[in-house]
Amino acid sequence: MDLPGLDAIVTLRSSVSQLAPSEAEELTAEERALDWWSLAAIAPAIIILLGFLFLFFYGVFQSLTDLRFGRPLVHFVGLSNYAVLIKTEDFWNSVRATFVYAGSAVLIEALFGLALAKLFATEVLLARLMRAVILLPLVLPPMSVALMWTTMMDPQNGIMNYLLSLAGVGRFAWISDPSTAMISLVLIDVWTYTPFFALIIFAGLQGINEEVREAARVNGAKGWASFLYIELPLIAPYILIAAVFRLIESLNQFDIIFGTTQGGPGNSTAVLSVRAYVTAFQNLAFGRGAALMVVNWILVLVATFAMVKLWRFVRNRVI
Amino acid sequence: MRPRRSLTSNCILNLLVAISALILTFPLVWIVMMSLKQQAQVMTWPPTFLFRPTLENFRVLFDIAEAGATSYGTIKVDFLTPITNSVVIALGSVVISLLAGVPAGYVLARRDIPLKEDIAFFILGFRFAPVLLVVMPLFSIFQTIGLYDTFFGMIWVYQVVTLPMIVWLSRSYIEDLPKDIEEAAAIDGAMPVQIVLHIVLPLLKPGLIGASLLIFLLAWHNFALGLILSSTKAPVTVALLKLLNPGVQFYPVMAAGLVVTMIVPVILIVIGQRHLERGLTFGAVK
Repeated sequence: MDLPGLDAIVTLRSSVSQLAPSEAEELTAEERALDWWSLAAIAPAIIILLGFLFLFFYGVFQSLTDLRFGRPLVHFVGLSNYAVLIKTEDFWNSVRATFVYAGSAVLIEALFGLALAKLFATEVLLARLMRAVILLPLVLPPMSVALMWTTMMDPQNGIMNYLLSLAGVGRFAWISDPSTAMISLVLIDVWTYTPFFALIIFAGLQGINEEVREAARVNGAKGWASFLYIELPLIAPYILIAAVFRLIESLNQFDIIFGTTQGGPGNSTAVLSVRAYVTAFQNLAFGRGAALMVVNWILVLVATFAMVKLWRFVRNRVI
Repeated sequence: MRPRRSLTSNCILNLLVAISALILTFPLVWIVMMSLKQQAQVMTWPPTFLFRPTLENFRVLFDIAEAGATSYGTIKVDFLTPITNSVVIALGSVVISLLAGVPAGYVLARRDIPLKEDIAFFILGFRFAPVLLVVMPLFSIFQTIGLYDTFFGMIWVYQVVTLPMIVWLSRSYIEDLPKDIEEAAAIDGAMPVQIVLHIVLPLLKPGLIGASLLIFLLAWHNFALGLILSSTKAPVTVALLKLLNPGVQFYPVMAAGLVVTMIVPVILIVIGQRHLERGLTFGAVK
C-alpha cells in the first residue's frame, strides 16, 4: 500500500472513486447540517446537467414510440422498435462492427502505447526534446483527423499508397473497399489515440520508485524479467484505466467514422452510432434511431462495468 | 540513477524515438504541404515533395467575393463564418462552464454536502454520456422553442461536453491547494465567499487557465452537436466535411481548411502543454 512517489495513482484512485461510489464518509451530525452557500454554488451546474439527464430519458422514451419526422400523431409502441431491430441482419452487423472497431483499436493502442511510453521513459536526448509531439494527435479535432486520413488514403493518388509502393507493396483500396475499410479506420483510431495510452502509462512508469527497480537489479533480475515481473504489474492499473476511458469513447466513436466512410462501403463500417444517425436524421425514423442509441449505450455500460471489475481485481492484486 | 547505456543502444533508442515522432508528425506535415500545392500537383503520381508553394487555397477559403473564380473551376466556400461560429461557441461555452462549474468544483473539493460522492459520480458520468441520444430529442425541441441554429442554444448544449470537464478539473486543482490558509481565514471569521474570492481564486488562476484551454479545445473539436443542431451557425468541423465534395475532390482547398482547424490546437499545445496533458489524461499526468 505504501509505495512512495505514486501521487499520480492518488489521482487515478480519486477518479475511480467516481466510477464506483466510495464508502460513506463518517461525518458528525454537525458537519452534515445543510450548508446553503455550498448548495447555491453547486446548484447551477446541477440544474444544467439535470436538463441533459431529462433529455436522456426523453430519448429513451422516444425509442419506445413510432416517432417519425413530420408525423403528427406519435404512438407508444413499447419494445417493438427493438423487436424489429434484432430481427434484421444489419443490426447484428452494426453490433459486430462496433465491437470489432472498439476492441481492436483499444487492444492495439494499449500495446503501442506501452511501447511508446517505455521508449520515451528511457529519457534519451531525443525523447526529452520530443515529449510534446506525443500530444499532437490528441489535440487535433477528430473530424480533421478523419478528413486528413481520407486524403492520405485516397486510392488513386494518396500518399499512403505511395509509401506502400516504396516498400514494394501494391496499391491498397483503404477506406474505399469493404474488406479493408474497417482496418483502415482502426489504423486512424490507433494513430490518434495511442498517445493517450502512452501519456498515462508514462505517468505510471515515472511513479515507480527507483528503489524497486534497484532492488530487482541487485537481486539479479535481467531487463526483460524486471519489466515483466516488476514494472508491468505496477503499471497494469494505469493501462486498464486508460483502456476503460478509451473503450467507452471508441464504442461511442462517431466523428472519425462519419468523417471517413459514413458507415460504408456497403455496411462494412456501420457502427451503431453512425447507423443511429443515419436512421434518425437521413431516414427520419427518430424512434428507431433512438432505439439504436439506447442499445449502443447499454453496450457501453456493460463493457465499462466489466472493465472496472477487471481494474479493481488487478489493483487489489498489485497493491 | 538509471543504468548507463552503451553508445549503440543509445543510438538505437534515439533512432526509435525519431521514427515514432516522424509517424506522429508526418501526416500533419503532408497536409500542410498539400495545402500549399495546386490541384494539378496534388493529382500527380508519384506525389511531389518539391514544388512552388502557393497561398491560392487559403484565398479560396476566405475570399468570398472572388471564390467563384479559381484556377480549378467554380468552388464557393465561406470558411470565415464557420470559424467565427466555432470561436463564439467555444468561448461562450468556456465562460458559462467556468461560471457554473468552478463553484461546483470548489464545493465538491472542500465542503461536506449530503450525497457528495453521488453528485460527483453523476457529473463525471456525463463525460461518457451518449451524446447522440441526448441530442436526438433536442432536435425537435429546439425547433419548437426556437433555439435551433442559435448561439444561445449551441452554447447551452455544449455544456454537456464542457461543464462536467471543468467541474472535474477544478475539483482536482482545488484538492491540490493547501487547505491551511483557508482554514486560518475561516477561524479569523472570513465568510466562505470572501475566502473563495480572495484566497482560493488567486491560487487557482494557473489551473483555471489550463482548464479553460482544455475545454476550449474540447468545444473546438465537437462535431456531432453542430451537425444536428445548427445550419448557419455550424461550427468549423461541420464546414470541413462539406469541403469534401463527392465527385469533385478539391483536396488542396480542404487541406487548407484542415490546416486552419489544426493551427488553433497546435498553438494551445505551445501555450499550455502540461495543462493539456493533465486534462486529456483525466489527471493521471500532473
